[in-house]
Amino acid sequence: MPEPILKLEEVSKTYRTKGSMFGGRAAGLVKALQCVSLEVLKGEIFGLVGESGSGKTTAGRLIVKLESPESGRVLLNGEVLSTLRGRRLKAYRRRVQMIFQDPYQSLNPQLSIYESVVEPITIHRLAAGRERMERVLSMIQTVGLSPPESFVNRYPHQLSGGQRQRVAIARAMVLEPDFVVADEPTSMLDASYSAKIFNIILEMRKRFGITILFITHSLAAARYLCDRIAVIYRGHLMEVGTAAEVIHHPLHPYTRALIDALPKFGLAEQIPRYNTLLEEERAGVEAVGCPFFMRCRKAHRTQCGREVPGLEPVGPGRFVACFFPGNGGGAGGKGS
Amino acid sequence: MDNGERFDTSRMKRSHWAAHFLEGWSVFIQNPLGKAGVGLLILFGLMAAASVIPPWIDPMYRPMTGVDPEIVRSVGPSLKHWLGTDFMGRDLFSQLLAGARIAFMVGVSAAFMTVVLGTAIGMTAGYMGRTVDTLLMRLADIIMVMPTLLFVLMLAALFGQLNIWTIVLIIGLFRWPGVSRVIRSQTLSLKQRPFIEAARVAGASHLRIIFRHIMPNVLPLSFLYMTFRVTSAITIEAALAFLGFGDPGTVSWGMMLQWVWKTGHMFKAPYWLLPPGICISLITLSFYMLGRAMDEVLDPRLRKEEDA
Amino acid sequence: MNARTAGTGNRNSEAEDLLEVEDLSVGYRTKRGFMRAVDGISFSLKKGRSLGLVGESGCGKTTVGMTLMGLLPPNGEVRGGRILFKGEDLVQKTEEEMQRLRWNEIAMIFQAAMNALNPVQRVEKQIAEAILTHAPDLPEEEALRRVEGLFQMVNLPGERMHDYPHQYSGGMKQRAIIAMALACNPDLIIADEPTTALDVIVQHQILEEIKALQDDLGISLIFISHDISIVADVSHDIGVMYAGQLVEYGSREEVFGDPRHYYTRALLASYPTLAGEKRDLVPIPGETPSLVAPPSGCRFCDRCDAAAEACSLERPDWLEISPTHRVLCARCLSS
Repeated sequence: MPEPILKLEEVSKTYRTKGSMFGGRAAGLVKALQCVSLEVLKGEIFGLVGESGSGKTTAGRLIVKLESPESGRVLLNGEVLSTLRGRRLKAYRRRVQMIFQDPYQSLNPQLSIYESVVEPITIHRLAAGRERMERVLSMIQTVGLSPPESFVNRYPHQLSGGQRQRVAIARAMVLEPDFVVADEPTSMLDASYSAKIFNIILEMRKRFGITILFITHSLAAARYLCDRIAVIYRGHLMEVGTAAEVIHHPLHPYTRALIDALPKFGLAEQIPRYNTLLEEERAGVEAVGCPFFMRCRKAHRTQCGREVPGLEPVGPGRFVACFFPGNGGGAGGKGS
Repeated sequence: MDNGERFDTSRMKRSHWAAHFLEGWSVFIQNPLGKAGVGLLILFGLMAAASVIPPWIDPMYRPMTGVDPEIVRSVGPSLKHWLGTDFMGRDLFSQLLAGARIAFMVGVSAAFMTVVLGTAIGMTAGYMGRTVDTLLMRLADIIMVMPTLLFVLMLAALFGQLNIWTIVLIIGLFRWPGVSRVIRSQTLSLKQRPFIEAARVAGASHLRIIFRHIMPNVLPLSFLYMTFRVTSAITIEAALAFLGFGDPGTVSWGMMLQWVWKTGHMFKAPYWLLPPGICISLITLSFYMLGRAMDEVLDPRLRKEEDA
Repeated sequence: MNARTAGTGNRNSEAEDLLEVEDLSVGYRTKRGFMRAVDGISFSLKKGRSLGLVGESGCGKTTVGMTLMGLLPPNGEVRGGRILFKGEDLVQKTEEEMQRLRWNEIAMIFQAAMNALNPVQRVEKQIAEAILTHAPDLPEEEALRRVEGLFQMVNLPGERMHDYPHQYSGGMKQRAIIAMALACNPDLIIADEPTTALDVIVQHQILEEIKALQDDLGISLIFISHDISIVADVSHDIGVMYAGQLVEYGSREEVFGDPRHYYTRALLASYPTLAGEKRDLVPIPGETPSLVAPPSGCRFCDRCDAAAEACSLERPDWLEISPTHRVLCARCLSS
């Protein structure tokens, strides 16, 4: 069994939001992550699946140390992130990289493709002269921009979104990191291009043996790419397991609601309908318990409304944060 | 062709900037304001360059010290003195040419100082944030509310006549806050952009992020502000000189105006009064038009259309 | 041209064509030259049916919507073809005539719907205003009563009528936009990526809403999206667009069940699904061609597995697979 390379231990993160001048939004706290613990194993692609505002991007930013957790610890190879300073931080930056969501924003418009990709090598003084150039060229070739010579002199505005995202991947991979956070790398791209990016990510894993945290809102993409996935909702992990298990036999009512909501032309017979989502939020109750309580059809008022369920094991490598996992529903394709 | 030649980065950088410049220039020059501004500036540039010629022809054309031995008072235009002479027989035309040189010198160097200070301080404040930001911006506020002209007048009253470079320095020290505010807000928005975060994740140092990633993206804006600052520097210098606090060792247009006024020729010698007055108006106007036309080049809405 | 005959008049339905687009070409004047965003597309839409236009960014699908609405930007230009709406050619209409038609008969749900609401005006007022502009004689109370009805129709709680847009969630804003589109009882609604910015669960609810409304009110719908699965979910008929052209057109079952154009097939093969066998995704190689100087032959031939030499030289003709299913490809007969 491969050992964990990354560990999140009871990590919480809260953002302070500014109030809006025209009322409505009051200044307040947004709990992006609440006591999240998870382990990512060496060499796997781990999917973090959630809707916008679920905290999935925050988790990624904590790992690459663009933010610090409020409480809890993030460990990579046993090293606690919050203690890293100076040279050790720089060494960490070489080993952990990120691919950002928006390729139109993640490349400096004033730098040529060569300058963008070579920068990490220059920063970490990994190579110089001819060797440095060769490394950049071969990485640009590896991400499928071929021939690389015809791309290096161009500038981001001369490339399509998909090509830019490949450059961004090349920039992250040129350091040959151990761990890469890919934050919805295809959500701004066309479908035909997404497939290219997915395949490049798979290729990178095969070639360099890197571990990848793949952040996405798409269960279908997670199914294609990931070995294991975690479903996150409002800062809480709801369900963790292998991708196939979670998608084909979801246990948490929220995961089931997500699967219900996906358009599935032509596949309706193969996917059961779970009906776990309440049309309207529960009225007249305060949400102090399970984060999904307000929309959960299966919830029991007494327990679910008062206590937050912990992420408990329900099988080998399978965890669910629900008092009544797999309870009812999902019994064959009723409805749809 | 070998690799080294293909990736001569300095050459491709140059061609990138050249391409950018040409693209911007084509938008710029289509703008009537830009065209007029550039035309006027070329004219003033020629004047400044030509200012060395008259003294070289005859020492009596020296703007400050040359006096026509046959004339001891102000007379109107003649073949020998195209614009006439001032109260002690100095040639007005060569003074006007010398004034153009001074105007450029004062305007551009003061604006350059303003913009260098403003950009550096604005970027530092925006990038560092927190206390540094607060301190620098409060300082900017304090300086911004101090009336520059009044302050210079007080200095002049205390220390007597001010050297032209002192005036430039003071203008530079007093006019940066406006620039720094703009650069700071630009830096703040850049700082949020993922490419800056990508550089951080790659391990780039603060200095590297500032100089490699932020500065190239704010420089066009600094440049724009520089043209506007030239205008204000020239007017400040002219006002000071007219009020009698200019550098007595230089011939500026403001100085010429002061001499007209002080010797009581205000309404008697239009050939003396009008040329420097018109020149001051036109040179400030031309820099202003230049700035407006550049504004259009840099306007993001305009750029968007090009991308589409 | 045979494209039109294939697309229209063949469906043995008694419903009449509400909209008939014939050989429409639209482009934009740009610095680099004239960009042919839409190049000779034809389709028709019957009353109460829905047509999904699917394609990747830059394929011209949004331009089609904007042209139908008469909302092309200043550098846009219709270069040919006709848009027959209830028998009248929209291309020939003046801006004034279009204004009367817009919202009253053709309404649009925009791509950036989040920003389509005025942030400093109450939602009810905005919708009432849309009604009053087109029916100036209506008393204001009556208009507000209609807004209430619309809110019920799109499942928005009535008491939220008086709120400002920023007090709404993304899904609620989208519902309000739909209410606004329905305000003047249009016959045709053009929905351009109406759910792109929404989360899966909200997206599902909005799509269900749109489907139900379309069924109940008998409105015709043109649904524009890059997302095959959504288009398949909502539309009766599908038009697949590539590089400014319609390349495959037919009923949903035909186009997605038996795709013939190699682009349609490639698009489907590049799409991850939730069920079925987990297969390798096959990305489409290459990039879309320039629309300023498009290739003379088939526009997809550079990226197509099955392309022969002739493909790059000759403009392909429409082939009729069935009375309702046609393909712009010379080599697609074998399925």
